[in-house]
Amino acid sequence: MLKIIFGDIKNSVYHPPTYFDNQYEDEWITDPMSVQMIKEIDKSEVVSARLIDSPVLGPISVKEISGGVKTLILMAFDDSGRIFNASACGDNCAGWIAEIGKRKDLTINLHHVMDFSRVKNFEALMLNTGKLVHSYAEYLEETLCIKER
Amino acid sequence: MKGKYHIIVQNKRLRYEFDIRRNLTIIRGDSATGKTTLINMLDSAFSLGEGSGIEVVCEKVCRTLRGKDWNFLLPQIHDQIIFLDEESSFVKSKEFAALARKSDNYYVIITREDLPNLPYSVDEIYGIHTSGKYHDLRRTYNEMYRIYQASEFSADRKPERIVVEDSNAGFEFFKKTGEEAGIACESANGKSNLRNVIAKAAVKNLLAIADGAAIGSEMNELYQYMMLHPEVRCYLPESFEWIILKSGLIDGRIVQQILENPEAYIESREYFSWERYFSFLLTEQSKDTYLQYSKNKLNENYLHDKEKRAILKVMNGIKFL
Repeated sequence: MLKIIFGDIKNSVYHPPTYFDNQYEDEWITDPMSVQMIKEIDKSEVVSARLIDSPVLGPISVKEISGGVKTLILMAFDDSGRIFNASACGDNCAGWIAEIGKRKDLTINLHHVMDFSRVKNFEALMLNTGKLVHSYAEYLEETLCIKER
Repeated sequence: MKGKYHIIVQNKRLRYEFDIRRNLTIIRGDSATGKTTLINMLDSAFSLGEGSGIEVVCEKVCRTLRGKDWNFLLPQIHDQIIFLDEESSFVKSKEFAALARKSDNYYVIITREDLPNLPYSVDEIYGIHTSGKYHDLRRTYNEMYRIYQASEFSADRKPERIVVEDSNAGFEFFKKTGEEAGIACESANGKSNLRNVIAKAAVKNLLAIADGAAIGSEMNELYQYMMLHPEVRCYLPESFEWIILKSGLIDGRIVQQILENPEAYIESREYFSWERYFSFLLTEQSKDTYLQYSKNKLNENYLHDKEKRAILKVMNGIKFL
């Protein structure tokens, strides 16, 4: 289940890419889900746990993948109990956030209204109000009732 | 600072090329478009100079600002273009807004947050896209594009209801003009209420009018709402005063020259947003004429048929009559 909380909260990592650079595990990178996320969003190939092939930058280290993908990998694999700021992710990450939320209980923190319009069968629990939304339209409607950003 | 600045940032593999024309520019958009890479290149170039292997071409110094002591550094920086990455959460603080307002720098801020303390324009919210590889096949070229295009959310139809961000002269004008055309009009009493008032209106054909010069912080939510509710459209001129100036009602060649190239005239330290400058310009230029302008109360002469038609003519694609 995907859970969304807007605004400043305790236990949230505001800039997940920095946290990722200092905490990621090699095996996270070669997991099929990370390989797919890096391919889809960064258009890059995972060569090994420590090498990525980028069409723009050439061979790069894991620390040079996009901030959005770093945040997604943390959402998928980090088990520290921290909540990651999904405002570090572009709207092209929205589908993967929803996907990770289907595979596990995932709480994300938002400081802007992320556009989930391209996510089919979108569902999330809005923690600020306690309402379960069953579509993007319901989500957008509910954000009207939430002042925190 | 005033003026438009062309900026090139490049190394062997990447080239960014874009123009900055106002004190506040926002870069956002999808992940993996090169926003952080741009910041990192500017950071290295500023710290290490030519020895970084990065070339920055710009009439003004381009630099980054990071870290906890930003508020000590910022007052010492003058006449520079400052790039701020999304890790810098201080950009949403009132303290940053207050320091930026007093400064003579331009700011380019990478963030997806709305930043309601900063009056940035709908026209200065950009994404980055790759325009391809040209002469040098090893180098990728990146440009900025405007995220919000007016054509996407304007409508060539007579609205059933109008919601105006403003509550002063602009609102009075649209309210009275709307009444004559059988269009209900209400004020949102400020940009932060706009989306809520629109959502409550529940009509088939609604037009929201707001000052484009400072509506930037509302655009993400407003745009998503409009995409989901095509019955709601927006008209976002720089400001109501800009419409009047553009209409030609106010004499003076200088006014039209300024409107063609406002960035050359608007000093950012005096006017945090262009909307305030246009208000000043109209008040100044209409002084002691029959169209003497006051923001607080609409001069009735603007509602005379000739004047009203001249103003409405500026509003391309919006049908009132």
